[in-house]
Amino acid sequence: MLEKEIIDDKQAVLLIINMILPTALLSLPAITISIAKRDAWISAVLATGVGLMFGRLVSSLVMNFPGKTFFEFSEEILGRFFGKIVGIFFIWWLIHSCSEIVREYGEFLSTAIMPDTPITVFLVVSAIISAYAVKSGFEVLARFNLLFAVLMGVFVLVFAISFLNVKFTRLLPMFDTAMTDILKGTLVPLSWMGEVVVFSAFSPVLKNCRSVVRITDMSILLVGLHFFIGIVGVLMIFGPEVGSAMMYPVFNQVRMISLASFIERLDYIIFMSWVIGGFIKIGIFYFAAVIGVSWMFGLSDYRPIVFPVGIIIVALSVLIHEGIVNQLDFLMNTWPFYSIIIFETGIPLLLWLVSQIKNRRHSA
Amino acid sequence: MELLENQVLKKDLENNIKLIKIILDKCSDVIYREFVFAQNEQIKLALIYTDGLADKGQVSDQIMRALALEVPMAVPGRVITKAQALEFIKERGLCIHQIKETNKVGEVVHAILSGDTVLLVDGHDTAIINGARGWESRPITDPEAEPTVRGPRESFVESIRVNTSLLRRKIKSPKLKIESFRIGRLSATDVAIAYIDGVANDQVVKEVKKRLERIKIDAILETGYIEELIEDEPWSPFPTINHTEKPDRVAAMLLEGRVAIFVDGTPFVLTVPSLLVEFLHASEDYYERFIFTSAVRVIRYLAAFASLILPSLYIAIVSYHHELLPTALLLSVAAQRERVPYPAFFEVFSMELVFEVLREAGIRLPRPIGQAISIVGALVLGDSAVRAGFVAEATIIVVAFTGISSFTFHYSASISFRLLRFFLMILSGTLGLFGLTAGVSAICIHLCGLRSFGVPYLSPVVPTAYSDLKDVVLRAPWWAMLTNPRSVLGNNKKREAYGLKPTPPESGK
Repeated sequence: MLEKEIIDDKQAVLLIINMILPTALLSLPAITISIAKRDAWISAVLATGVGLMFGRLVSSLVMNFPGKTFFEFSEEILGRFFGKIVGIFFIWWLIHSCSEIVREYGEFLSTAIMPDTPITVFLVVSAIISAYAVKSGFEVLARFNLLFAVLMGVFVLVFAISFLNVKFTRLLPMFDTAMTDILKGTLVPLSWMGEVVVFSAFSPVLKNCRSVVRITDMSILLVGLHFFIGIVGVLMIFGPEVGSAMMYPVFNQVRMISLASFIERLDYIIFMSWVIGGFIKIGIFYFAAVIGVSWMFGLSDYRPIVFPVGIIIVALSVLIHEGIVNQLDFLMNTWPFYSIIIFETGIPLLLWLVSQIKNRRHSA
Repeated sequence: MELLENQVLKKDLENNIKLIKIILDKCSDVIYREFVFAQNEQIKLALIYTDGLADKGQVSDQIMRALALEVPMAVPGRVITKAQALEFIKERGLCIHQIKETNKVGEVVHAILSGDTVLLVDGHDTAIINGARGWESRPITDPEAEPTVRGPRESFVESIRVNTSLLRRKIKSPKLKIESFRIGRLSATDVAIAYIDGVANDQVVKEVKKRLERIKIDAILETGYIEELIEDEPWSPFPTINHTEKPDRVAAMLLEGRVAIFVDGTPFVLTVPSLLVEFLHASEDYYERFIFTSAVRVIRYLAAFASLILPSLYIAIVSYHHELLPTALLLSVAAQRERVPYPAFFEVFSMELVFEVLREAGIRLPRPIGQAISIVGALVLGDSAVRAGFVAEATIIVVAFTGISSFTFHYSASISFRLLRFFLMILSGTLGLFGLTAGVSAICIHLCGLRSFGVPYLSPVVPTAYSDLKDVVLRAPWWAMLTNPRSVLGNNKKREAYGLKPTPPESGK
């Protein structure tokens, strides 16, 4: 399916970063801060540490089964029947998270930017653009992501400017929050970092699957750094109370920039890069889901099912929540457990254990 | 007719002439001149050529005169028999540089129609084709479509031979190969591909040949025919094959490892593979000093970007995101727009259409009235549109600036930018900045997937070839551009010696 498409390591790192980051910067700081309060940054650091282990788990699976997608090696490890069942579960999770992401974007656009436009418009347009990217192939998606990374330079610059407003004292007193809250707060960024497992659906595109460890380590570290900076920024500019009350604090943080009294309203630059990042993130999950579905039906080409899967994603994203409050509640209280325990660690860990046992038995 | 053309010549002159006359029936421009080679034995000869294509001076002086008068005098003692006549004429009789022999009727006819002069000798089944072509053609003039301040002023003309000679004058190396094809059932157009052996990628050269040989068409009148028949992505709005009318630009392209396609009858030459950045570069960029060039290129890239998105950005801001404007500006724009009864989208869209009409009229109009019309069009129309309250002043500024911006780079790329501008305007008119971003993303995804003869269209930016970035937005000085661009897939990696950076002489010496 992906035989001819090959991307290099840098593209892979950027792809994983943009697979995790775009939605994370949107809603993650507010959620984490509302749980872990002033010490939310500790949660980010802890999450990075655990996230690295997630990455190692995924990369060891990818390395043991070179040139195979997640679906193919789960079938190899668990046998035809259980492999298919796990694969179907995983496909469900991919489609579900893709609709969650689409919905998240739609909510952001319709609450923060264009409140008069019905949300369905955003959902449909985002899905169409991502479908176009998916249909053009994985290489194209990776290149588009690379092109976007060039624009990310502007984003980073704007973000850096927003740090002119920080007050370090807002971080004090440190270590004031209860340990349980900090740990609970860790789950939120962790559920995002666990998304690295999605990359195993694309493992055949890597030039050399030995380098996958470096790729996942690198991307998790960079993502962690972004989480840390994002959370610390919001904390130091708004403080925990205001920060967690806001829906999109990073957006507001950039909105506050006023340089030389005419460089203002830079939030639109962030907004645009978020929109593009959203297309990429949706595209990657969408792509993984499409690969999964075409594996399930044993198709030789994934392109014919891009459109049908897209329809499912859009329809699901319309139905999935009643509104933003509902969705935030879901993302904060249900999603971390649901996706971390079952899909981001549960299934990969199971696969890993079974493959280790099988290996042992083979060598014995 | 096909059958006749497949025949071979006979020994009998009358018969041969009759055969050719049947094939070239009702072609009043073909001239038949029969005369006698003055010798003891009367040998009949016939000259056949097309009026207007053959050089009449050469035909009468170097062929007829030589044969009829000078040759017999030059070797008075020799008796020429009918059997020897052909050999003798070939060796001593013709004062023409280029001759060719054939016995196929089809080739004879093609030679006549291409402007060559055919000599038939009685008693021989071989025709002598004399390359004495000479027709009226346009002189070599300034490049009209790509004017430059500094750099060569010559441009290609309609004759393929003149064009290849212009190229040969730039690259005097035996490695410059020019291979000829003939395409077109009726037009039999001469097409040539030029490349530098060892510099151009063999695969690309082979691919170009393969795609050219695929073409089965009645006529090729311009390079555009070939472009549409061989391009990678026929449905893309972007041109994946570059064209130019400047010999120096073609030479530069070949030196970087590209392949050029010449077509007889047009001053435009195609070059492949092409990258998007090529269309934003001018040949002058390499002749002016690098500091100035880099600055100009930055402006050109910004202008290209503006020509794509500026009107849509204006529509989106004015109709959806007023808060993006500083208050003072917002007030003045709002005051202007108060008089205008239409939504911003309609206003900008219609003014862009007006601009396109003006541009089109500017090209089609007979030159003497062009100026007057453009003044009437641009000044009167724009000014009155504002006064009449159809559009706001700000709109006129945006539309005019966009229009000007789109002329800062290669024409064929600017056409695609202009088309996409309308697509983006519709998107931003309906969905604001989100629509604009979505549209730009779609364009970028499309560009990421484009290829030109196997080369990614956006390289060297994406996928990144770091050494090639020396010549994208900024241009490194010549002494620093050590290698040829890798993204074109050329073979000749090394362009120049290392350490050519000039330094002042050490003092005291």
